[in-house]
Amino acid sequence: MEAIGGLLTGFSVILTPTNLYLCMLGSLIGTLIGVLPGVGPLAALALLLPVTFALAPVSGLVMLASIFYGAMYGGSTTSVLLNIPGEAASVVTCLDGHQMARQGRAGAALGIAAIGSFIAGTLSVAAMTLFAPALAAIAIRFGPPENFGLMVLGLVCTLYMISGSTLKGVLMIAVGFLLAAVGIDVVNGQERFTFGFINLTGGVELLAVVIGLFGVAEILSNVEEIAKNTVLATRIRGLWPTLADWRASWRPILRGSGLGFFLGLVPGGGPVTASFISYAVEKRISRHPERFGKGAIEGVAGPEAANNSAVAGSMIPVLSLGIPGNPVTALLLGALVIQGIQPGPLFMVQRPDLFWGVIASMYLGNVFLLLLNLPLVGLWVQLLRVPYRVLFPIVLLLCVVGTYSANKNAFDLWVMLGFGVAGYVLRKLEYDLAPFLIAFVLAPLVEQSLRQSLVMSPDGALILLQRPATVLMLAASAVLVILMVHRNRKAQGGNR
Amino acid sequence: MKRLAAALALVGALAAGPTFAQTPDPEVAKLKPKDFPTQPIEFTVVYPAGGGMDVTARLLAKYVEKHSGDRIIVNNRTGGAGMVGHAYLATQAKPDGYTVGVLANLVWGDAMLRAQGRWSLSDLEPIGYLNSDALTWVSSTEGPYKGMGVKEITQAAKEKPGTIRVATVPGSMWDYIVEQIEANAGAKFLRVPFQGGGAGITALIGGNVDVAQGFYSEFRGHLEAGKVKPLAVAATSRVDLLKDVPTFNEALGGIEYVWQVIRFAVVPKGTPADRKAYLTAAIQAAMKDPELVEEYHKTGVFFDPKLTDPARVAAGLEEYVQREREFYQNTGRLK
Repeated sequence: MEAIGGLLTGFSVILTPTNLYLCMLGSLIGTLIGVLPGVGPLAALALLLPVTFALAPVSGLVMLASIFYGAMYGGSTTSVLLNIPGEAASVVTCLDGHQMARQGRAGAALGIAAIGSFIAGTLSVAAMTLFAPALAAIAIRFGPPENFGLMVLGLVCTLYMISGSTLKGVLMIAVGFLLAAVGIDVVNGQERFTFGFINLTGGVELLAVVIGLFGVAEILSNVEEIAKNTVLATRIRGLWPTLADWRASWRPILRGSGLGFFLGLVPGGGPVTASFISYAVEKRISRHPERFGKGAIEGVAGPEAANNSAVAGSMIPVLSLGIPGNPVTALLLGALVIQGIQPGPLFMVQRPDLFWGVIASMYLGNVFLLLLNLPLVGLWVQLLRVPYRVLFPIVLLLCVVGTYSANKNAFDLWVMLGFGVAGYVLRKLEYDLAPFLIAFVLAPLVEQSLRQSLVMSPDGALILLQRPATVLMLAASAVLVILMVHRNRKAQGGNR
Repeated sequence: MKRLAAALALVGALAAGPTFAQTPDPEVAKLKPKDFPTQPIEFTVVYPAGGGMDVTARLLAKYVEKHSGDRIIVNNRTGGAGMVGHAYLATQAKPDGYTVGVLANLVWGDAMLRAQGRWSLSDLEPIGYLNSDALTWVSSTEGPYKGMGVKEITQAAKEKPGTIRVATVPGSMWDYIVEQIEANAGAKFLRVPFQGGGAGITALIGGNVDVAQGFYSEFRGHLEAGKVKPLAVAATSRVDLLKDVPTFNEALGGIEYVWQVIRFAVVPKGTPADRKAYLTAAIQAAMKDPELVEEYHKTGVFFDPKLTDPARVAAGLEEYVQREREFYQNTGRLK
């Protein structure tokens, strides 16, 4: 068994005081980064990159990786407690997590998030241990047409994110698409919809949009109710998930783990997409979809598992092929390059110490994170007792710091503010913001993969029918849409 | 909250990094102006952390610290594919010596084609050459085009126009070189757009394109694994790491196929002469350090003999600027 031998190598590398310490430290930093709204893993990794120069390559990589997955643990905290996502990957956790908190069940939501993250993290690292090289070979076959199929499937899933009026939801998806079109055209390299602003040439910064819509807007809404002294006046009921919670959650956790792992693996996917799609899937297959958005624990368990396993999934192309799929893994790759190491297909053979060392460290890191996060649940819940007038300036400050730290571009702060106000108004008018956001994330990928497919195809759009994987995903999308239309018809049948 | 604060303090202390007791070079110390620097110097990188430009800047920072004893902070001011950072350096950064831009020649295209008169190349003064990467064409060692050289592939693209899929990055040198080859040979490639060279290499390995273009570091892993074959490099002469690979000029017969990333350091125009001289000396000292040269070598870059002489940097860069300007003028991009 190659995997077992490899894992033993890995553990022999990792089980040194320095590496254990760095793995724990990274987990702790990651958790904190995750908890702080706005401050994301990318900014944290960039900040800590110079520290790794002085470390052995494996130690540096272990620490950076643990910050990445640690952030996924912490991200749910403020989503649940304050309705402000700690990371873009925790936006969906707000939907039901915060409702749970309002019902006094913040502890259960945080508990299930931590345990779900642990299960997903461990399962996905196990899958990585056993199948990394084979999976990397599959992932690399994923060309533009396959990506397009996947993104369309993802977009169809976003329809399930709509909670209120279908018309308003579809409108928000359309707006997401329009805003994502700002920037540089993917095929001809020309600027479009930038109105001559240099700052718009790179498009609208995702982080600024997330923090504006979900952070600043939430603060604005809450400040309005200034009379309210604490965030939640409700008595906190129980810190731990109940047996009923477990029954409802274990399947979403497993599904989220699988889904997240796959979405992390393929180019264009990642923790953000994974969490959204997991939520949509849970809502779709639930027998009581009407409970979603009102404190359904499945809506916390699934996405929180998905964003964690997406991290392990996204590590595979980097470690097995040297191909980063998102900015965070690109940074991990950079950390290795600075050390004079260039991962490629032979990385596993040439540097088994690094390859298996990182995998082994991820097993340990997940255990650390569980041990760290479970006791913290009690502590975080106490945050709810802090008066809002004390809390909101701090959160707002963190929003500003986090947004600026990503690009060091003051323009992003204006974007954040603009989206904060827009988000506030849209909420008042009862527009869903989640479908907007996921459309904004997916739209560039949809456009790029479609246009690449069409350009590279000798037979025009037929290329989409010549690739089995694409056909499969497009067919699944069509079935989902038909089912949804059918159900809506049935629901509205009585009114017509 | 207290625990949080304590933990943050720990992170902060860690981020500050181990401060070595460094004794500056006498050569560099000699030029040190009075009262400079009294705070860390920022190396501005306009691309995200972890990329080729960032790696170059961070390695440079490490050795400039070693040779000057000053503290350097690498700051990634990203956005607009580098344009936001370029504009920042040219128009907003204070010319007080505390801002050094660690740039690639992609700034030239931005200045000539996209700055729209808001700033120009003369707003940035080069103070040192760092390293170069030549754009290289690679093909797969499997599939219909295996074993073919760049000449045969171009010939094939002439005989069957629009069938050979080449990965490009729109509106940049990846596109320009394809354009040159097409125009000169009367060939037609099928250009598949990607957001960067690395993505194109991935598509090549996955069989989604036939030719990819990239830099040595981007395909080295696949080259070692025998998955890709380098076809030609767009440099003025062969590069050390790819001794057996011809230049485009050799293979296709020409002088215009030179497309490379040239990395250099600049200061904003108006930086006081004494501070500029000091920063120049510090960078020179770092670049002479065999350890830095070795670290750069490991990342797969090469050193352009036209630019390695410090006295010739400005003139050498200007030569390349002219070459690029002519291309833009000849293709109607620049009036």
